[in-house]
Amino acid sequence: MSANGADLVVVHLYPRLLRTYGDRGNVLTLARRAEWRGFQVRLVDVEVGEPLPPDAGLVVLGGGTDRVQEIIGADLASRRAELGGAAARGAVILGICGGYQFLGRRYVTLEGRSIEGLGLLDVETVARARRIIGRVNKAHAALWGREFDLVGFENHGGRTSLGPQATPLARVPRGGGNDGRDGTEGAVQGTILGTYLHGPVVPVNPAFADAVLERALAPATGGAPLAPLEDGAERRAHDEALRRPPESAPRRRRLLAVAAVLALLLALAGRAAATEIDEDGALGTRVAVCATNPTEVLLHRTVRTVHDRTVHHGGYVGWSIRSSASAASHCSSI
Amino acid sequence: MRPSPPVRAYDGTVRALALGVRGASRLARTGAGTSLRGLVIQKLDPGFVRRRAARLDGGIVVVSGTNGKTTTAAMIAAILRSGGDGVVTNASGANLFRGVAASLATMPTGSRAGVFEVDEGALARLVPALRPRALVLTNVFRDQLDRFGEPETVAGLLGDAARLVRGTGAVVANVDDPLLWHAVRDTEPVGYGVVTPPEPPEMAAGGPVFDAEPEVCPRCGGPLAYRRRTIAHLGAASCAACGWSTPDPPFLAEVRGASTFDSMSLRLSDVDVDVGIGGLHNAYNAAAAVAAASTFGVTARDAAVALREFSARFGRTERLDVDGARVWVLLMKNPAGASVLVRQVVAERRVGAVLLMVSDRDADGRDVSWIWDANFEPLVRRGLPIVAGGIRAADVAVRVKYAGGETVAVEPDPGRALAAARGAAPSGTDVAALATYTSMLDLRGAALGSKVDAVAEVAPV
Repeated sequence: MSANGADLVVVHLYPRLLRTYGDRGNVLTLARRAEWRGFQVRLVDVEVGEPLPPDAGLVVLGGGTDRVQEIIGADLASRRAELGGAAARGAVILGICGGYQFLGRRYVTLEGRSIEGLGLLDVETVARARRIIGRVNKAHAALWGREFDLVGFENHGGRTSLGPQATPLARVPRGGGNDGRDGTEGAVQGTILGTYLHGPVVPVNPAFADAVLERALAPATGGAPLAPLEDGAERRAHDEALRRPPESAPRRRRLLAVAAVLALLLALAGRAAATEIDEDGALGTRVAVCATNPTEVLLHRTVRTVHDRTVHHGGYVGWSIRSSASAASHCSSI
Repeated sequence: MRPSPPVRAYDGTVRALALGVRGASRLARTGAGTSLRGLVIQKLDPGFVRRRAARLDGGIVVVSGTNGKTTTAAMIAAILRSGGDGVVTNASGANLFRGVAASLATMPTGSRAGVFEVDEGALARLVPALRPRALVLTNVFRDQLDRFGEPETVAGLLGDAARLVRGTGAVVANVDDPLLWHAVRDTEPVGYGVVTPPEPPEMAAGGPVFDAEPEVCPRCGGPLAYRRRTIAHLGAASCAACGWSTPDPPFLAEVRGASTFDSMSLRLSDVDVDVGIGGLHNAYNAAAAVAAASTFGVTARDAAVALREFSARFGRTERLDVDGARVWVLLMKNPAGASVLVRQVVAERRVGAVLLMVSDRDADGRDVSWIWDANFEPLVRRGLPIVAGGIRAADVAVRVKYAGGETVAVEPDPGRALAAARGAAPSGTDVAALATYTSMLDLRGAALGSKVDAVAEVAPV
């Protein structure tokens, strides 16, 4: 027990500024799950210019808009020693989305400007215009000797790559996660954690919540396992998310349907053109190839795009149209 | 300026086609009439909107912003209609280019004025085409971040639109929204705001307000201090660091006494305004409507007469009578909006049960994290039975659990959710249903036994 009688001091860092994606839900859930097990919890909000409590056992750093992240940048930079010291004492530091990026070594903006991070996690993030947006329900996490599934939602422009000292929090299908390519999500380094998952991530992933809590409570419990809680509501939300198809945006299905109809029309037109030219004789074969090719290109690309869940809403449409247009111009040049 | 006879004949043909498409889709009961006929026009002839709009010589009002578009536009239309003018409006949710095109194509021949709610993302295209006499900007809240991007981006879109009407029309803007007010600062905006009576004790939030946008100065990024506050980050604010401050607006609505779902008393421009719809957010909508009407030469007194008859629209505090039980349908779009509705429900003594419906289709916003930023705790403190509904009913149940309560049922099916809520409400009390957009459509469908009307209004996102 710490001096003021709390078993766990939970710090919400910048709650007024970094709170874009239900970050309070993460803090609230961690605090409640400790309280329900009989631990005394003190929740402390730390704003710009306020000191971190010296007995902080769990620090949560959420995400914010670009502008707000700029506003807190200087204050956060001044906390390197403070947060590093807390982590060295065994405090768990959980950064989510923007908070995850802050914990890393640096963040390179779209304009190519490099912003130094806290350097607590061996990761680097580079901003990209095309955001990775979508539901996550195939993430398999390994954290401090436990394994569990994670569900949530991700929405980030940054592509994060892990250095040798950090290990991925979870494995995800290609297209989502840290950089959309390497199949990793989040990062762990000692007691420091980062993830891109919203949901918020803690309430709908009780196994993750308890892994974090058990570690943060270790000074009070000596590392003893936590008593199980009645988790019916949480498990139901978690399991329903797990069972859903990875991406079910109706817009995509509509676009796929439109693309399929267009492809069919193109195919019919192509066949008609081919028949007509066949009747003419001369150029038959060559033009038939040209007329059916775009269809194949379009179909192929459409299917590929739908599988590639990183593609942004707007980008998807543009891409299909572009691919058909480029196919058409290729055709006319034959 | 009247178009030449061939153009008029052409427009007449487009109009006939659009009416035909509407008729056909109604016959086919596909419910896609609004967007389909608009889409046809959008593809065939983008100049059509400009020419049709120019025929509305009584002037056009465009309403945009995150919350309150539909109700504010409906209030303005009601005020202008009371002056005897035929007023064209677009259907709720049909607020992209194609929705406005569809409304213009099928407008009655006697129409003189137009009032259109326009999606923030469609302003850049529609404002130059419509050339509004008044552009009304309601507020900027975080809403569907997966679709819109950040509030700062949206404020930028509204500011750009305001600059497009500068010189030809008036900008009417919410002075209580610091980010928005700063974005329109160089357009000589007509401001409006709201003053409230002191907060009842059970609503006192304590600690940071999580449904608000960050309270930072839009000019320098310093912390904002509030002289008065209403909803989330809305209020009269100033920055100690750089001296930026919101002015006292010419249209300041003072809320008098307690409002109910279907009544509210305001004092505005030295006139008593009784509105047939309650809630703080509707005080803002009414103030915006009176301010907008003033740019058409309508006095606050005349506007007040029109607003007295005003009743709720499609899912916005809409009363449904279901087999003798009363169900209030309250559209919930984002954390701030949800928190205001919670305040309204808690203050409304007629309510005996709450149905909280959250879905995650495109039109709802696919990331439901925001439910943790909304202040649902007062519902639990008032001891109301809560039913979780919508596609994400299970997430709602978790949210309620961590608010200190327990749901009486978790039911994604709208019909069964409604039945559970009715069963939980003591006899003689009403059900308040807070629902996200498509949940609201599902609920209306279940309650009214038909989905046709609801589907016709699906937002083209």
